[in-house]
Amino acid sequence: MRTKTRIKRFTPLQRLFHLCLMLSFLTQGSTGLARLYMETSWGQGLARVFGGYEACRAIHIYVGFFLLFLFVAHIFYLFSKINWKNFPRCLFSPDSIVPQPKDIKDSLQHVFWILGRAEAPKFDRWGYWEKFDYWAVFWGIPVLGITGLLLAYPVAASRIIPGWGLNIALWVHRIEAILAMVHVFTIHFFIAHLRRHNFPMDQAMFEGSVSLNHTRHEKPAWVERLAQEGKLESVLVPEAGARKRVLFLLFGYCAVAIGVFLLIGGLVNSPYITW
Amino acid sequence: MWGTIGFLIGLAGLVTVLAGPVWAQEGEEVASAIRRYRQHEVSTGYYEEYEVKPRRMLPLVEIPGVRRGLFPYSPSAAKVRIRTRLADSHRAIRFYQRARCEKCHIEQTRDIHIVRANLTCRQCHGGEPIASIDHIYSPMNPIRRHAYVCAKCHEGSSASFASYVIHSPNPADMGTRETFPLLFYVFWGMVTLTAGTFLFALPHAALWGVRELFIKEEKAEGEDKD
Repeated sequence: MRTKTRIKRFTPLQRLFHLCLMLSFLTQGSTGLARLYMETSWGQGLARVFGGYEACRAIHIYVGFFLLFLFVAHIFYLFSKINWKNFPRCLFSPDSIVPQPKDIKDSLQHVFWILGRAEAPKFDRWGYWEKFDYWAVFWGIPVLGITGLLLAYPVAASRIIPGWGLNIALWVHRIEAILAMVHVFTIHFFIAHLRRHNFPMDQAMFEGSVSLNHTRHEKPAWVERLAQEGKLESVLVPEAGARKRVLFLLFGYCAVAIGVFLLIGGLVNSPYITW
Repeated sequence: MWGTIGFLIGLAGLVTVLAGPVWAQEGEEVASAIRRYRQHEVSTGYYEEYEVKPRRMLPLVEIPGVRRGLFPYSPSAAKVRIRTRLADSHRAIRFYQRARCEKCHIEQTRDIHIVRANLTCRQCHGGEPIASIDHIYSPMNPIRRHAYVCAKCHEGSSASFASYVIHSPNPADMGTRETFPLLFYVFWGMVTLTAGTFLFALPHAALWGVRELFIKEEKAEGEDKD
């Protein structure tokens, strides 16, 4: 029997959410940029993968609906997970992803640690950068979803808002999408893959667990809390098999490659399109 | 005798005053975009001719970019001075026959309807003479634009739909603050949000990456020995 060296971090359902989010986000990024960059050969090549300019629009709308469905499903999931007997105090427990005063303190201390001016903060289960990522997606999907719906069905939308609102919706959709893509393709990928602690890849979102030894360094307060509550043994799991880990690595790096391709192509070709 | 003449003069004066100016007698000539038959017009796109004549000039009402100041023009002069109300919008422009639209309207060729949907100017603005946007019988007149122009491609478009600014101004320009303030402020709000995020997050991530290279490999309390 393999030794249990890892702490459970994400449930299979949470990993499924992330997998769906990954695939749909990359599809939306590719089809959206293919249309935005249609005047360049880069954009035309990207669109060809999906069947052309019009097909990109159809896919973008369908996958957009799927993302909105994911968002609604996630809201139901949240409601099912909230401990209503202990509401709203449960929102501010260390296991909660809701931002708390400790996160502000931790983030400041972390910045000072980066600059070599303080001890490393003792993070609990969720670091402030992880909470930031979660809430960025949480507000980003409704913003992109609502503006996307308005733009996808402009005639119907103009019965609810004035038609000139679509001019504004277009720019909100664009800038929010660029913000989301640049953030994911630079900061999220760097933190999850390239920094020394996680290199070559943080497999937590695929494997569902994180190395106990690594976590003792990065999230000491979480491990201490689990040990104090006597839960540490019960959350330990063995490492996934080598084949699975190779698969996770390949899959993760495919996503990184697509992201970097979109990022560089988008930046290089940005002067050549009509915004 | 003098009493009768005085009475008649008084009566004539009274009739003159009570009759009021010419526009007051044309009680039916009101723009209908706001009140009359609005539902019917919006749903059918059909407008009675007399309903779409320009409203009388309101001396104290300013239209930014079009009309400023008290009594800037007489109602008849408006036809000449304001090019957006001519039957032929290019009237009296020299060498017009040999010019291409983009010679003067280069900015208007840079938007998604033209670049992405490959529309040409004439598909919306029509053939010669191209009526001005606000001419009373122009298909481009906002009162019927949705039915005569937009609906060619966007079936079921309404007057609200037609208020989409096809030749959308550059939202970053300071001039847009005057012509389309909400677009200007929303654009810069979103840009500020994006720039603010990356101004913090990019150096933060980069410096964090560098800092981790200098962590001493100490065993944490309770850590297994590899």
